[in-house]
Amino acid sequence: MSGLGAVPPDLAAQVSAFTARLRDRHGFLIGPGETADALRALGAVDVLARREVRGALRAVLSASPEQLRLFDLEFNAFFRVEGAAQPKLPPLLPETKTPGREEQTDAGQSPPPGPGQPPAPKPTPAPAPDDAPDPDEDAPDSQAPGQPLPGEETAPPDDAAVPSLRARLSPNAAPGQAVQAGGDDLPELLRAASALVRSLQLGRARRLKPQANRGPKLDARRTLRAAARTAGDATLLRWLGRPRRAPHFLLLIDGSRSMGADATLLLRFAQALHLRSRRVEVYAFSTGLTRLTPLLRRAPPGVPLTLPDLGDAWGGGTRIGENLLRVAREERAPVNRDTLILILSDGLDTGDPALVGRALRDLERRAGGVVWLSPLAASPNYRPVQRAVAAALPFLDALLPVAGVDDLHALPRRLRAARRA
Amino acid sequence: MNAAPPGPAELQAAFLARGYVADDALATALRLVVALGKPLLLEGPAGVGKTEAAKTLAATLGTRLIRLQCYEGLDAQSALYEWNYARQLLHLRAAELGGLGGVTDEDLYSERFLMARPLLQAIREEQAPVLLIDEVDRADDAFEAFLLELLAEWQITVPELGTIEARTRPHVILTSNRSRELSDALRRRCLYHWTEYPSRAQELAIVHARLPGVNETLAQQVTNAVHALRALPLGKPPGVAETLDWAAALVSLHADHLDAPGIRATLGAVLKLREDQLLAAPTLQGLAAQAAAGRPPGA
Repeated sequence: MSGLGAVPPDLAAQVSAFTARLRDRHGFLIGPGETADALRALGAVDVLARREVRGALRAVLSASPEQLRLFDLEFNAFFRVEGAAQPKLPPLLPETKTPGREEQTDAGQSPPPGPGQPPAPKPTPAPAPDDAPDPDEDAPDSQAPGQPLPGEETAPPDDAAVPSLRARLSPNAAPGQAVQAGGDDLPELLRAASALVRSLQLGRARRLKPQANRGPKLDARRTLRAAARTAGDATLLRWLGRPRRAPHFLLLIDGSRSMGADATLLLRFAQALHLRSRRVEVYAFSTGLTRLTPLLRRAPPGVPLTLPDLGDAWGGGTRIGENLLRVAREERAPVNRDTLILILSDGLDTGDPALVGRALRDLERRAGGVVWLSPLAASPNYRPVQRAVAAALPFLDALLPVAGVDDLHALPRRLRAARRA
Repeated sequence: MNAAPPGPAELQAAFLARGYVADDALATALRLVVALGKPLLLEGPAGVGKTEAAKTLAATLGTRLIRLQCYEGLDAQSALYEWNYARQLLHLRAAELGGLGGVTDEDLYSERFLMARPLLQAIREEQAPVLLIDEVDRADDAFEAFLLELLAEWQITVPELGTIEARTRPHVILTSNRSRELSDALRRRCLYHWTEYPSRAQELAIVHARLPGVNETLAQQVTNAVHALRALPLGKPPGVAETLDWAAALVSLHADHLDAPGIRATLGAVLKLREDQLLAAPTLQGLAAQAAAGRPPGA
């Protein structure tokens, strides 16, 4: 902190205003300590060189690729106004985060558009360049509502006309853009979640832990400690063993229109699972993809679950393969041998089913197990012929029905049966 | 402030002299490591030179590089210190047989029997070393928590010896491939830099810096080809390390340009999954044809 004395007071004020802005608007985990570090960092670089200032502040204040992108936008907005005294006001929050603006960021430095899922409110991810037609074509309100095209879906643009359109078309999205996933079945879902967490039998951890009875490895340290009591003769041997691993979960929830209430049920189940085990990662996808984990983490239990507008990750069409591939590759969702991947989808896909296969091959290789939950599978004469399900089938440990809370209760039992088969 | 940190241009030049092309942001971040004494967390795809950055920093600062490779199941014992139990026992037996009798506690738990692991080594160095904690995402949460404590306090307590304080603060660089999300607490303690695949021009510069004798045409074609490959939805996109391997492989085959047989013979240096090789085959064919067409006749 010794360097802080030399900092001009207005620079200090500027930097703390900037850190406060990042913290308040985007939930950056930064406080006075980081502000002080930022000021010290500015002491170490040439404050007159904008690139250097940005590089220094970015290294101190951001902590993940998602934050890098937000940082760049905020930095440009904040310091352009302050420094060059441009009359232009800083762009408002929703504007700053439309994908088109990202080109403003430093080309060499910005992370790829993929691995981002900034905290809420989230930006609309750019529609896939190759197969998304111009969104303006089908966006305007003039188009007759109530005619959801069964075929190709596009990521709707983020303008005011669309939410109402989406709300009219979608059983999932409420008019206020927010996703209402309320329900009074939380206690029951919690029971189902606990049963699932308990039932998962994983292998042993790699880490050696002391254990009471005879284990695979002698604990020389503790044995020698114990030998001190018996005058140096190691009469009591202590052992190390590998404890069982705690399960992790990765939930991928299809929020497309065709899923209806089943998607909200699974959202609540995700919340329940999240309350039972901290090792839960949740994504929702429709035409786009959103990471829900931070939202669920913030959602208070007991009150009906309400999520902010999820943009094109909810209540639109379905691009399963594309989004699964994004989860597997760009998001680098944490998947290891302790992870059970639960995919909830009816498999009615408008994208390329080959992508589903490729994504699942990736995920299956890294995960402990992959389970597909389909609401359609609950009907007695169900055949896995939906394109996405058919493509995924070779890589699945199980394809299970999920049409209600009962199915979730039965999940552990069915999983065990599928494992044994 | 510490001893004057190197200027931006100086640092980049020093890095370049050691065959590492550092962009502005990375150079700034590395300078802050020296100036602020905070650890730097480097994240990015595999093979973009995260580990190499730490090595080059050590060479530039003229200090030792101490590396802790993280792995699943790494515990504090193997990262910090361990008593050499076998030697302690031997010492006890020898003392008994020799009739010396007077083996004291201080004897048995002295530095002689202490095996310093990387973290203890790092804080006992006279001159601040570069401590590289490699692939920290592979270690588990428990180790991460332990690391937090060390990075905050810079002291290690050995119950039998007492607390060992750091003589100098090591320059710490952590790398991660994002196979697991690191905790917010660890991120907060660190400066952060995301290392991205280099631009075409940067990558060309890297190839030249690393393989000084390489043919210009070949270097350009290889760099272009790798960039084309990265645009494909590959399972394991080639990193800079693969670019260099590939160029080196082609050089060792005495190729001065990219052609179909050369690509076929060396494809394993760039694409390490069979599916990727199949997926990239049309692209590579196109590239070979392009390279053949672009070549002056008779060359």
